[in-house]
Amino acid sequence: MLELDRVTAGYDRGVPVVADLSLAVGEGEAVGLLGPSGCGKSTLARVAALLHRPWAGTVRLAGEPVTGFRFRAPRAERTRVGVVFQQPRLAADPRLTLGDLIAEPARATGRGAELADRAARLADDIGLTPALLGRRPHEVSDGQLQRACLARALLLRPGLLICDEMTAMLDASTTAALAAVVEEYRREHGAALLAVGHDRVLLRRWCDRVLDFPTGR
Amino acid sequence: MNQPAAPPTAVEAGPWHAPRRVRRSTRAARVAFSAALVALAALAVLLVPPLFPLDQQAVDLTAKLEPPSGAHPFGTDEVGRDVLLRSVYGLRVSLVVGLVAALAASGIGLLVGCAAGAVGGRFDRLVMRLVDTFTAVPHLLMGIFIVAMFRPGVWPVIASVGLTHWVSTARIVRAEVLSLRSRPFVDAAISGGASRLRVAVRHLVPAVLPQAGLAAVLMVPHAIWHESALSYLGLGIPAHEASLGTMINGARGSLVTGEWWPTLFPGLLIVVPTLAIAGLAGAWRERINPRRRSELVL
Amino acid sequence: MSRTPSQPREDPPQGRPLLSVRELSVRFLMPGGRPVAAVTDVSFDLRPGECLALVGESGCGKSVLASALLGLLPGNARTRGAALIDTGEGPLDLLTADEATLARTVRGRRAGLIPQSPAAHLTPVRTVRSHLAETVRALRGTPRRELRAAAEAAAARAAFPADHLDRHPHQLSGGLAQRAATALALVADAPLLIADEPTTGLDRDLVDRTVGELRRHADEGHGLLVITHDLAAAERVADRVAVMYAGRVVELAAADAFFGHPGPRHPYAAGLLDALPERSFTPIPGLPPELDALPDGCAFAPRCDRATERCASLPALADGVACHHAREAADA
Repeated sequence: MLELDRVTAGYDRGVPVVADLSLAVGEGEAVGLLGPSGCGKSTLARVAALLHRPWAGTVRLAGEPVTGFRFRAPRAERTRVGVVFQQPRLAADPRLTLGDLIAEPARATGRGAELADRAARLADDIGLTPALLGRRPHEVSDGQLQRACLARALLLRPGLLICDEMTAMLDASTTAALAAVVEEYRREHGAALLAVGHDRVLLRRWCDRVLDFPTGR
Repeated sequence: MNQPAAPPTAVEAGPWHAPRRVRRSTRAARVAFSAALVALAALAVLLVPPLFPLDQQAVDLTAKLEPPSGAHPFGTDEVGRDVLLRSVYGLRVSLVVGLVAALAASGIGLLVGCAAGAVGGRFDRLVMRLVDTFTAVPHLLMGIFIVAMFRPGVWPVIASVGLTHWVSTARIVRAEVLSLRSRPFVDAAISGGASRLRVAVRHLVPAVLPQAGLAAVLMVPHAIWHESALSYLGLGIPAHEASLGTMINGARGSLVTGEWWPTLFPGLLIVVPTLAIAGLAGAWRERINPRRRSELVL
Repeated sequence: MSRTPSQPREDPPQGRPLLSVRELSVRFLMPGGRPVAAVTDVSFDLRPGECLALVGESGCGKSVLASALLGLLPGNARTRGAALIDTGEGPLDLLTADEATLARTVRGRRAGLIPQSPAAHLTPVRTVRSHLAETVRALRGTPRRELRAAAEAAAARAAFPADHLDRHPHQLSGGLAQRAATALALVADAPLLIADEPTTGLDRDLVDRTVGELRRHADEGHGLLVITHDLAAAERVADRVAVMYAGRVVELAAADAFFGHPGPRHPYAAGLLDALPERSFTPIPGLPPELDALPDGCAFAPRCDRATERCASLPALADGVACHHAREAADA
């Protein structure tokens, strides 16, 4: 599904934070990427989500080399990868209600009406009540907001989900609940998962295989 | 387990306490006072003109330069016209010019700043050089240059202020957009398939609107001062029309001979409402300060 | 799992409580809405040498409780009850004391805060040494010429390496920033330490080290209140655990009994532990109730598999657990 081939990435012409890393996530496979905080694994997650252009190396999605990143990536390629970040507060536009937040990718791709039912069902499956969907990010807890962010990432049925420390800010029960939602989605759609995190026990439990970050083994 | 058996100092469920606060008292009063002054000025310019038409020819040379009295609370000017009535008319011109010019300047600034920040790269560098160029030229001078190209009137003044004052807003907005652009919520929108335009319109512009709006309000007093300055210099509003700047200009001669009222009262009408507007803008700034933004964090 | 830093105490810590929280409630008055009951009737004591971990889901009220104890509640909050801190000259109620008293006698002197994100807690343009020197001067009035030595001693207490003292916050690793913040909290030897989510976002190694250091401070006689959603960290640091749900403490138990044998007695606490990836990794069904629309009875009943009609009445916290169907300590 996803192949990173000798990827080197960084910011502003400094020292690369990801150097010469290769990694592959198979069709329907769940891969955990384990590393300490600040080691560059978030940068790698952004490269894999086509959100950051690497300095060198190739990213292949379903066998095809990716041609561009951020806005330069074709919409069809971008929406094939769903992404959830560590801090839901930063990943949610503070002006949108949770309902609008979840439906945002559908509207952005002109499929708002078509996917309205799916958005509602997804919100329900993920445990968000209609009352919560009318609230804005500052009116809900981190756990509730992260649920909405996960629903947003799953709305367009991505074939690959990238979770960058998705549960680092969350309590045990919410962590297990979000992991179960991802599990269920993957079973239903045969989707692949790249979970980036620092908790070995959690990643072992969640993924088919767990790699250590700097080495990619 | 070391459960506290009997609380040493058990308290009854008493009344609810508010958290103690060191200072907040004067802020509410200050805001209310500013709001009242602004409202008074707005009411005056809206209600007075329909009720008391300003007769431009009401020159009464028998009553020239009368000090403030019951009949003329602000006194009369060098040709016997009522300073109070003319000041209110002058304030109306100033407020309209200030508001329209500030809105125009902020609109241009918002557009330029958003475009520079959102597009980035070479376009951003080009725009910022232009902004630097504008900043390097004293803007009163450039304003004078612009009004000098037209016949005196309200619109040249608005154009002169609007076209010279967008740079600061553009800078503020651009910086804000640049910092927002790398936020995860923009990443999430891109990943969800949003186009560049949609990210700008749906996520970036709404986020900078409060800042741009604040800049616009803060610019109103500034624009009023510019209008007065241009009119005082004889370049803005035509001399025969009542504007605070032209009134002060016309009163120069009488000030030397000790008749202070035709200068002081229009001057106060420039200073007091502009300070009140600035006070309201300050309160708004405190509101949108992110530190105070979300009071309840669960 | 065993608690490596120190074995559980045989005898409960003695002495006057450093902090006595009595029926503390916090309400938020929301514009136009019903009041939000963030914290309701929380009572506990904290003695010297003891570590109490306050755990629960996000939004359960534990951070609001911490803000109340630190005098950092926003203007729309209303409090009831008492939080008495031992000032050395009799108790002082943290909820009603005025700002000047808190600043002069409590913060830093009697209660030190170990913040959630230590790097953000330090001023970026100043070195760790200047932070420490300033705090030492402010809290202890140490004369200028002795400041250098005093700052170094303060750093040593938190195991902050002396050769890193002249670095700026951005030059410190996460672990060292945490130690620097802890050193600041320890400057005036405040008997009470409050740690707000000290392990959030840290990786496992760093969590272990942070927890070990926190435990050491408790062993040296500080009273330590740790607010966390990280049960693994709580297990390693705490003597007692208070589990909060929907603003109330639903279980208050000795940590070794809670995490080991016989285990938690409240069904919510049991569910929370079961959600850990080390255990069955199954979530508690449903979401916590909204704090502006709490049911009259047990707030956990809608999510609880033991719920019966008895749960329509509010269970009181008795013998360390607030549940009509609490598992008996014996039959676990």
